[in-house]
Amino acid sequence: MIGEALLMSLKVTAVATIAIVVVGLALGLVMARTRFFGKSVIETAILVPLVLPPTVVGYYLLLLLGSGGPLVEWFSLEVVFTWHAAAFASFVVGLPLMVQASKAAIAGVDPILENAARTLGSSEPGVFFRVTLPLARRGVLAGAVLGGARALGEFGATLMVAGNIPGRTQTMPLLIYDAVQRRDYVTANLMVLVMTGLAFFSLWAVRRLGDS
Amino acid sequence: MTPRLRLDIEKCYDSFELHVELEVGSEIMVLFGPSGAGKTTTLQAISGLLSPDAGEIEFDGEVFFRRSRPGDRVDLPARHRGVGYVFQGYALFPHLTALENVAFPLRGHKGRGKVEAAELLESMRLQHLAHRYPREMSGGQQQRVALARALAARPGILLLDEPFSAVDRPMRERLQRDLRRLQAELNLVVLCVTHNLEDAFGVGHRLAVVQDGRVQQVGRVDEVLRRPRDLRAAEVVGVSNVFHALVVEASADGLVLDWDGLRLEAPPQHAEVGERVPVYIRPEDIKVLYPDRRVGEALRTNRVTGTVVDHHATGSVASLRVDLSNGREVEVRFPEYTYTPLAISTGGALDLCLRRESIVLLTGPDVAVPPAAV
Repeated sequence: MIGEALLMSLKVTAVATIAIVVVGLALGLVMARTRFFGKSVIETAILVPLVLPPTVVGYYLLLLLGSGGPLVEWFSLEVVFTWHAAAFASFVVGLPLMVQASKAAIAGVDPILENAARTLGSSEPGVFFRVTLPLARRGVLAGAVLGGARALGEFGATLMVAGNIPGRTQTMPLLIYDAVQRRDYVTANLMVLVMTGLAFFSLWAVRRLGDS
Repeated sequence: MTPRLRLDIEKCYDSFELHVELEVGSEIMVLFGPSGAGKTTTLQAISGLLSPDAGEIEFDGEVFFRRSRPGDRVDLPARHRGVGYVFQGYALFPHLTALENVAFPLRGHKGRGKVEAAELLESMRLQHLAHRYPREMSGGQQQRVALARALAARPGILLLDEPFSAVDRPMRERLQRDLRRLQAELNLVVLCVTHNLEDAFGVGHRLAVVQDGRVQQVGRVDEVLRRPRDLRAAEVVGVSNVFHALVVEASADGLVLDWDGLRLEAPPQHAEVGERVPVYIRPEDIKVLYPDRRVGEALRTNRVTGTVVDHHATGSVASLRVDLSNGREVEVRFPEYTYTPLAISTGGALDLCLRRESIVLLTGPDVAVPPAAV
């Protein structure tokens, strides 16, 4: 059971983190380098999951993913109570951290350097991958670590959209809740220790990135 | 000089309107003017980093940009223009070494990129810097690496924005020599922005005076400096020593002017007797006469005494402000090595000569006299 939950957490977190990095980087770039009508509204909307109660986020996700929602109606995709839904919930709560961090990091790169690359023959993707991203790498990495850590610890929204099915959707945070309910303190202590260690290590790594 | 780069562009901003027409051949053209005149904007338009509102930019028959009427629009992306750009502050990539910076545009060449970059660094005597990061180099070193990087992509046009502003004098002279040599060797069209007269003299074949978003005058460097076409050009190149005088005599031999009681002789120029005309003399062409030496033939006319109001020496040039006997103030500049023997002090008296040959009437097409210059 512990092993299953650990694997499930790793799978969910890995998928969510990849999505967080790709989408968060793209949104960070847009937020840092463009101006358009309604930008601050969109930016706030991306950030809102940070401060909403997880149950509210979970409820919105149910509306989006559940029966009657657009995913089922338009694409006939049933993801509720699967690990896909858990990954999606983790993605939504982890994304704001990545967007904020990569936006700040990219805004800190001097646009003249990007222009220099353009005059030296770089295409726009070339400019991004050879100049902008390498120079913003610390902030981007920090955002990825924080977003990934947040995804790993996701509980409330996951419980609402993916349930707590051992072996199918039960991640480590859900297992801890379960174990405490069952007064299985051995499992709870072990899992709490693992989670605390991971959280501590992530923050320590982010601080190291900031210092160097 | 056959023009290779032609531009005629317009760009409107809230408080500023740029309209630049220029033709440049295989030469070093200096864009000269005060900050905010539109020099950098012009470079950006040529490189493709900025789109003008209207106009055309053409190089060796290839259209970089054209927008004359709706529907007809060419705007070649910067990466396809082959324009080398040395930015103000150099814009070296801080995460790459000198060698990697120079190899940046050569990436498509596979393994040869690094080899070519190393050769280029060597040809510019920079090989010892190859593995240093920009933060480990001096300003002058960074600048030469930036120049090597701009040339690595084998551009037809080279743009330099204030390339000499942050380097000391010996390095500046070396860079100017390098630039003239490279221009000739590679047959480049070079545009160089500066607001320093000495740099313009040191590097440029021709000079374009840019002010308020317009090219006021184009010509050989010495020609523009000696004969500004009008008051606006004079303000840019000389700033001070523009004054108004009455034409007393005008003949084929020359002019006689009355500048508020001071009689001045000037070479023959187009003017009517009785007319009040704007007159210009470069600060370098007002000679300080040594009290204890005989005065040469050329300096016998246009003598005047004055009182030193202000003086300072910076680097190689000494600069004075002198209150003349007619109550007007002029700026006088001369080499620093004559400064000490003259023992100049504020309040002291001086004998001056306003060289006859250097007195220029500013009678361009649109002479408007701002009160400050009178």
